[in-house]
Amino acid sequence: MTEAFFLSFKLATLTALTLLVLGLPLAYLLAFKRFPFKPLLEAVLLLPLTLPPTVLGFYLLVLLSPDGALGRIGLDWAFRFEGIWLGSVIFSLPFALTAYREALAAVDVEVLEVARTLGVGRWARWRRVVLPWIWPGLLSGTLLAFAHTLGEFGVVLMVGGNLPGETRVASIYIFDLVQALDFATAERAALVFVAISFVLVLAVRTLEARWRSITGYGTR
Amino acid sequence: MEIDYRLRHPLKLEAHLRVEGLTALLGSSGSGKTSLLRALAGLLPAEGRPYAGLPPERRRVGYLPQGYALVPHMTALENVALALKGPRRRTHALAWLERVGLAEFHHHRPWELSGGQQQRVALARALARKPDLLLLDEPTSALDAATRDRTIDDIARLVREEGLPTLLVTHDPLVAARCDSLAVLEDGEVRQQGDPETVFSRPATLGIAQLVGFGNVFRATVLEREEDGVWLESEGVRLFALGGASLRPGQAVHWGIRPEEVMIVRADRPLPDRLARNRLPVVVREVAKKGLVYAVRVEGALTLEVLLPRHVQDRLRLFAGKAIEVALKPAYVHLFSSGLPSS
Repeated sequence: MTEAFFLSFKLATLTALTLLVLGLPLAYLLAFKRFPFKPLLEAVLLLPLTLPPTVLGFYLLVLLSPDGALGRIGLDWAFRFEGIWLGSVIFSLPFALTAYREALAAVDVEVLEVARTLGVGRWARWRRVVLPWIWPGLLSGTLLAFAHTLGEFGVVLMVGGNLPGETRVASIYIFDLVQALDFATAERAALVFVAISFVLVLAVRTLEARWRSITGYGTR
Repeated sequence: MEIDYRLRHPLKLEAHLRVEGLTALLGSSGSGKTSLLRALAGLLPAEGRPYAGLPPERRRVGYLPQGYALVPHMTALENVALALKGPRRRTHALAWLERVGLAEFHHHRPWELSGGQQQRVALARALARKPDLLLLDEPTSALDAATRDRTIDDIARLVREEGLPTLLVTHDPLVAARCDSLAVLEDGEVRQQGDPETVFSRPATLGIAQLVGFGNVFRATVLEREEDGVWLESEGVRLFALGGASLRPGQAVHWGIRPEEVMIVRADRPLPDRLARNRLPVVVREVAKKGLVYAVRVEGALTLEVLLPRHVQDRLRLFAGKAIEVALKPAYVHLFSSGLPSS
């Protein structure tokens, strides 16, 4: 059980960090910039929300297999940790992106413009004005992605299969236990899951409340 | 400070004006007032001087947009200190908050302050950076009437103490009247600039006249010149107006008179000769109380809006249906030299 939960945490942490690095610039692009085919890009990025995980997993499996388009350029990640990591990043991207984008959209462009007229440079504007403004949103988006990855099942099973220590994460482990009719162990694992999820959702809600109290949004 | 700016986007604008002391920039909505301010702050591309081509960070220009643009997660003190550098920045920021009377609110965040207080914080923040030019966009639009007058006086006091040229954008003639100089933006250019009294009493164009509150504007034909004025024919009425030296008989012009400058003739007081020229029998159609003044509409050969101070109405006791006479003092009959509609 420990091995499966450890793997789940490793996967969720790496996925959440990847999404922070990848999602923030993307969210910035979507929130502030205008460019051709923007709705198209948005639709593609949000597509994992509506796709069944098995469909996403199926395409990834095909692409990442040794003969697949990505497999042939060295990314033969099927049934490997790297594969479920890539799948998780794509699958949780809409959640993180939506949260980041909302946080960025709340930043008043006029405030940044006035900061420029006050002689505050680009880096200082990000560090002193934007980041303190959006950090609760960033953190809550990242936690959401983390929680979502923990609970993932379909994509991971399709891309990674069920290899202990490599791709057998906690959700799949529980599925395995039930298949083997080991209900007692499955119940303990499920309880751990409920506790973790509850703490995460509570953290996200607390962060949102804190964000409102800092900026005054929603208080008048 | 001389300003000479040309904008292409978002609208075509050519602005030449002087910012001397507290200068108001008056214009109807959509005339490009805000765009000109943003261009001066370096936030919109424009050609001209001063500051041509410099990014906003390198211009010493203080810019206060309508919403004040305070950083919401910073306290009043941190907001003011945002513009400052060095180890003593917080001390300086506090001194500035003190100057705008908000030292005790230094730890409050913007949403804990009233609109007027937020504006003073924003003003302190802009002044703290010791700008060469201050730009204020509709500083009173979000404030109630009582706060408005005090705010303008506070701003005027501060920028005079600092000796800071300040350009204040407004669409409110009452705000413009409290400034040292008044420039009017119309059809993409500054059409008139002078002290407010001159612009108010002698607006250069019909559009400016309407902007500064001329309610009564009429078409007329020039009949003849006489001494220092002209005789006009307007809606069948003969009127004498001062000035108009460049007008020729037969020419079409517009003239106007401000509602507060229409005089009600009192039977017990004979009119001086010149005033007697522009007497007009009318009937009162409507009397409406507007704050401390009465707005009266009278109809005769001309329909005129008249504004009467309360004490005058208390004495005259005008009511709808009453027949009276009004007089239009030739000095107050204003001829518009340009900007006339072709119809």
